[in-house]
Amino acid sequence: MIPAFHTIAATLAADASPTGTVWLPPAASTLAGNVDAMFNAINYICYFFFAVIVVAMVYFVVKYRMRKGQAFRSDAPLHHLPLETTWGAVPLLIVIGIFYVGFRDYLNMSTPPKNAYVVQVTAQKWAWNFKYPTGATSDDLYVPAGRPVQLTMRASDVLHSCFIPDFRVKKDLVPGRYSYLWFQADEPTPSGQGHHLFCTEYCGTGHSNMNRKVYVLPEADFDKWLTEQGQWLDKIPEEELFFRAGPKIYARCQQCHALDGTKGIGPSWKGIWARTHGGEGSDQKFADGSSYASLIGPGKKYATPEDYLRNSILNPGSELVSGYGNAMPSFKGQLNDKAIDAVIGMMQHMDDFDPKTGKYLKEAPVAPKVSMK
Amino acid sequence: MTTIDASRPIDLASRPDNYLTHTRGFMSWALTLDHKRIGVMYMVAVLVSFFVGGVFALLVRTELLTPGQTIPGVTADVYNQLFTLHGAIMVFLVIIPSIPAALGNFVLPIMLGAKDVAFPRLNLGSFYLWLFGAAFTLVSLAMGGFDTGWTFYTPYSTTTTAGGVIPVLFGVFILGFSSIFTGMNFVVTVHKLRPPGMTWFRMPLFLWALYSTALIQVLATPVLAITLMLLVVERTINIGIFDPSMGGDPVLFQHFFWFYSHPAVYIMILPAMGIISELISVHAHRHIFGYKFIALSSIAIAIFSFLVWGHHMFASGQSPLLNTLFSLISFSVAIPSAVKVFNWLTTLYKGNISLTTPMMYALSFLVLFTIGGLTGIHLATLNTDVHLHDTYFVVAHFHYVMMGSALIGMIGGLHHWWPKMTGKMYSERTGTAACIIIFIGFNVTFFTQFFLGSQGMPRRYYDYQPEFQVYHVISTIGSYIMASGFLLTAYCLITSLFSGKKAAANPWGGGSLEWQCASPPPHDNFATQPSVGDCYDFRALKWDEATQGYEIDPALAAEAAKHPLH
Amino acid sequence: MSTIPNTHGSAHDDHGHHGHGDHAKYPFLQHHFETPAHQFDSAKLGMWLFLATEVLFFGGLFVAYAVLRTRFPEVFSYASHYLNTLMGGVNTCVLILSSLTMAMAVRFAQTNKKNAMLICLVLTFMGAVGFMVIKYFEYTHKIHEHLVWGKTFYVPPHTEEGEAEKLVLSTAPPPPPATLTVANPAAPAVPTLAATPPVEASAIKPASAAPAGLATAREMAKAEHLPVASDDPAMAHPTLHLADPKMPANTHLFFAIYYCMTGLHGIHVLAGMVMLAWLIWRGARGDFSSNYFTPVDVGGLYWHIVDLVWIFLFPLFYLIH
Repeated sequence: MIPAFHTIAATLAADASPTGTVWLPPAASTLAGNVDAMFNAINYICYFFFAVIVVAMVYFVVKYRMRKGQAFRSDAPLHHLPLETTWGAVPLLIVIGIFYVGFRDYLNMSTPPKNAYVVQVTAQKWAWNFKYPTGATSDDLYVPAGRPVQLTMRASDVLHSCFIPDFRVKKDLVPGRYSYLWFQADEPTPSGQGHHLFCTEYCGTGHSNMNRKVYVLPEADFDKWLTEQGQWLDKIPEEELFFRAGPKIYARCQQCHALDGTKGIGPSWKGIWARTHGGEGSDQKFADGSSYASLIGPGKKYATPEDYLRNSILNPGSELVSGYGNAMPSFKGQLNDKAIDAVIGMMQHMDDFDPKTGKYLKEAPVAPKVSMK
Repeated sequence: MTTIDASRPIDLASRPDNYLTHTRGFMSWALTLDHKRIGVMYMVAVLVSFFVGGVFALLVRTELLTPGQTIPGVTADVYNQLFTLHGAIMVFLVIIPSIPAALGNFVLPIMLGAKDVAFPRLNLGSFYLWLFGAAFTLVSLAMGGFDTGWTFYTPYSTTTTAGGVIPVLFGVFILGFSSIFTGMNFVVTVHKLRPPGMTWFRMPLFLWALYSTALIQVLATPVLAITLMLLVVERTINIGIFDPSMGGDPVLFQHFFWFYSHPAVYIMILPAMGIISELISVHAHRHIFGYKFIALSSIAIAIFSFLVWGHHMFASGQSPLLNTLFSLISFSVAIPSAVKVFNWLTTLYKGNISLTTPMMYALSFLVLFTIGGLTGIHLATLNTDVHLHDTYFVVAHFHYVMMGSALIGMIGGLHHWWPKMTGKMYSERTGTAACIIIFIGFNVTFFTQFFLGSQGMPRRYYDYQPEFQVYHVISTIGSYIMASGFLLTAYCLITSLFSGKKAAANPWGGGSLEWQCASPPPHDNFATQPSVGDCYDFRALKWDEATQGYEIDPALAAEAAKHPLH
Repeated sequence: MSTIPNTHGSAHDDHGHHGHGDHAKYPFLQHHFETPAHQFDSAKLGMWLFLATEVLFFGGLFVAYAVLRTRFPEVFSYASHYLNTLMGGVNTCVLILSSLTMAMAVRFAQTNKKNAMLICLVLTFMGAVGFMVIKYFEYTHKIHEHLVWGKTFYVPPHTEEGEAEKLVLSTAPPPPPATLTVANPAAPAVPTLAATPPVEASAIKPASAAPAGLATAREMAKAEHLPVASDDPAMAHPTLHLADPKMPANTHLFFAIYYCMTGLHGIHVLAGMVMLAWLIWRGARGDFSSNYFTPVDVGGLYWHIVDLVWIFLFPLFYLIH
């Protein structure tokens, strides 16, 4: 019996389509084949039983429809132990078979190979951060083709879940513990296109906006990307940080902080430079009664505005602007000093950016050869 | 022994004095101890809640017509509250109480030939607890609503700033006790108030179903109660049991929650299965096939339902060992249900089928429950579930079983017992048309969602990738079709109250005891002591054109007595 | 064979000796039961079902206890010392005795001894009162010591309210906020005793792994560069737990589950007192006799399960060291 299941599964695995079928998206990982085979096998079993039941039902209804005035027929059987046993036992055997095949494949899916390439994933409301062994971080997931990749995942606030449909992988991210998933993608993604990565455990307002992409790069290209990713900030001259790096980093902040004055989950950055430099709005109150003016300055809690702004990124709960809750996650470990400098620079030159999108409005000088992805 | 001892004259003519007219005035309803009146009040309350929950559903589906915002004013936060409310109202206010409390309260004592349930005052208490629970849900809306999903997963539910979380937790807690007390009542009633001659295996299958459901209600709901209390305590005084920064575990909440909520789905479906046993046998005028198995499978499902909660948590980080055990046991729960479907199907074989509205609902149930049950296989299988968990595939699956099966069963039962409850017949044409419209609309709405889910669309998404839009548009159109079907049903039933034909005591030819009293029943249910036989033996019944109902024909009864079925 | 509506129901006409006769003779017999015995059996079955729900209700908390104790056995064996075994033991005896008086009350009700029944009910009530009084003293003492749940556990009682938010294990002024690492901003500023701050993976010990030795609260606080209570006993306010260098991390969880379980039990004792008061009132009115003692009997069942739950709680909390 068991070899038969394997044969069936192998046959159906051929159905796993790189371009997707009506039921399933493209099969882009080595795990997808077995999952798709199982899905298709179950589907065929379902079609069969559904057809049997519906055809029988329609047939009986037509054939045994009561005609008016007709006496009741009374030759109907009340029970039939052999038949009832059979249609209990046969489905039972079928589902046990299905269970067994699914279980074996599941064990494979939940055991990352020892030589897997490990990427650390942090999820928070409402963004992903991918960190590579070199220390480089990225907002999208880049993986090398042709080798197993393991995601070591944690959430920093509430439950999230990492779901990559094309790879057929999913695992919840639970605060306070690590979870793992692994996959191997052999086919590099065409330039600019990537596989969807969704958060699939409800996590609040931005739950449906945590979508990112997974890009599969050939090994050599992947190494190149990794190097550049680790260095892209370093390669940007200080004075260009705010417009080359600022908008990209701001994309993480955009969900909560508007540039145009709209109140979001967090305060808008409009006018923040003035507020923190003793200008207009510096008397705006904080939850504990203090104000920008009373917090920032020589001898005060934050000697310079940069100190305050830096702290509000790394330790956001320490002062809450009045009217806002303690909802911002810390970006410690995700944004290094240069990234923070870029953000602060963007705040300083707020007028140079589109208030709706954060795009840099002025003509950017010719960029150095840096991958801006 | 045939259904009725024909030597005893039966007075089944409906009288002006029945349970509806027996006493008058608001207080006579507000303080009634009559199980029939309590059942009617529950039915009205549940149907109103269904309407409200349905409106939320239509808002959700309309919002999903386009990615991003569709309806002005419906932001992501508003949307999150809409789907949460839809789920909470439908699960706790509608589906769980609907059949036991509304239909069960009305029918169960009469099916037993009893005058009332064992504890009538507790029964009224259950109804008021339902009202209080519903009131708390309204209060929670006024206090800022809640957006946690009906599943209240931590840490989101313990940290969200939405102000309505704690009131709704209290509301659901109270609703839980309403459910528990109904369950207690039914267990004792079935044990203690069966008439002479009605042994366990002579009970109608609806009673077996209600009994099994009542066992689950009594044993599972307290766990929900304590889970909600722990959530309230965690949210207010932050004891830390679900908070990882204080040594707690968010996944522990999931275990607690699903330990109740999985048996809860069997609270939803078992009574509907009981109704289907009645509908198919009565409207096919044929003895149910495989009575013993159907009866015992209800108990088996009730027991097994407690062992499979972890299949909601395959992706939660739970150990592979637990995942394996839960997957294996989940498959075994499916088998009794499958055998029931085959038994119902065989009940049509060599039957005398009338395509009445209740039979149409029963046939809809067979199709929709088959689909719902079969797609459970995809989800119980470990490797496919990894892909399908928390996608629209799950949404489609549970709507097929909770709505396409449980709710359709309830509506079918409502049509079946409507003449008994109201003394009126509704228009068969309108009723059947509405059933067909609902069936079509339902499939358009939810079958599409299987594809959405397997293609990778996650649940609880306000915004989505453009490639999913065509599925959402089709699904939304289906929801409007379905809604119009329900509106037509409401029209059909409500107009029957005013202009429907008078109903005979036994318009369908049923064999259980409720068809031996007038329609509507008198205050005390029976004018004469009903006698108990095989409630699925219809051989003695003959259609009487004058009363437009079935009556016992002595000649047929004598003939049938010569050939016992068992 | 009329259908004149009346509460007795002509359906019983066929069963001569039952029917109007019984219902007139037994005014408490409800119309849908045939005999008092029938009604009594049903009531008892109903109460046993209710007790089953109570078992499952408390059962959830017992499961929580089991989960917490399995994860943090050192916390339970340590923190149990803070409970007063004598008071708990006295409470256990009080409840067991009250169960005895309750059972006697039922017996007296069954045998028509009204006064004896009332005395026993009152004694049971006094037992409940005694239990709650002792519980009151236990709770107030602990609350005074801040042996409570959650973050308050870590706050010395005499600290001012405004500083309760800051992380303190001593009376020293709070450190500048830059040294705090808050992983979960929505949680209060409690030492992250089990969670992992968003830093390098290599530096993080996963919380789901076994505890690295028996980490004490003090050690964890030191690792986080937080101030700790002085070792000087002279400084110690009776917040023994905060001054104890050996207190394990997450000890607050013991008290959380302790208050949840004993608190829920206390609520059930209070409900039982209301029930007993009602029985006393009805009994004084003369409602109970050998013909009808159902409320006393099923009330007794309820009281016994309240007692039984305590008999499990007492050793699980007080006797585990």
